[in-house]
Amino acid sequence: MAMQIVMDPTGDTRHEFNMSDAAAVAEADRRFRQLTGTGFTAAVRTAEGRSKLIRNFDPSAEETIFFPRLQGG
Amino acid sequence: MGSEFLLTSTTVSVLLICALLAVAFHGAEVRTRRGDRMARLSKPEQRADALLKEWLSPEQRSTLHKYGFFEVRGSHTAKCYRIHCRRNMSIYEVGTGQTQVAIWCFGPVGHLPLGDVMLAQKLALETDEQAALAVANRSGC
Repeated sequence: MAMQIVMDPTGDTRHEFNMSDAAAVAEADRRFRQLTGTGFTAAVRTAEGRSKLIRNFDPSAEETIFFPRLQGG
Repeated sequence: MGSEFLLTSTTVSVLLICALLAVAFHGAEVRTRRGDRMARLSKPEQRADALLKEWLSPEQRSTLHKYGFFEVRGSHTAKCYRIHCRRNMSIYEVGTGQTQVAIWCFGPVGHLPLGDVMLAQKLALETDEQAALAVANRSGC
């Protein structure tokens, strides 16, 4: 199972999907494009405490986190 | 002589017991305060706090627990930044000799719980430092 974690005012919303289910993967891909298209940045964990940005949906990523667009404070 | 010895040893014993009670009381108070802090956090704050800890390295978790901040390395410059557990003026750039050389202010749009804000700051600096600093406001220390 893979997980897409979207930061939001509730803390986060998690979308779990089966990586071997083509329909679920397509839905996760659609969600990825929708979120990044509205300003979210996606990152995947590469090791404990380490991560990298991804610009395209990675169907093999076990955990992808999305955070909203950044602004100066 | 005997009564003096008895008085001295009694005084020492009483002082020792008082010291032990003070240490025990302080420990209990610290534990209670930590528990109260967790209880005071709203559900979203608790979820964000848990998510942040999932994505921190063991060293970052430990530093956050001990000092209220954790350190990250910028992806482009390898500079060290301290992300403090607060909403404003929370990112310190640390120079040589552990001196704080600048304060950077940026965060995700929308009202997210503090743990999410800190995690977004960490991810941004560790994966795309230039883009993060391009939107940030900087002030000197």
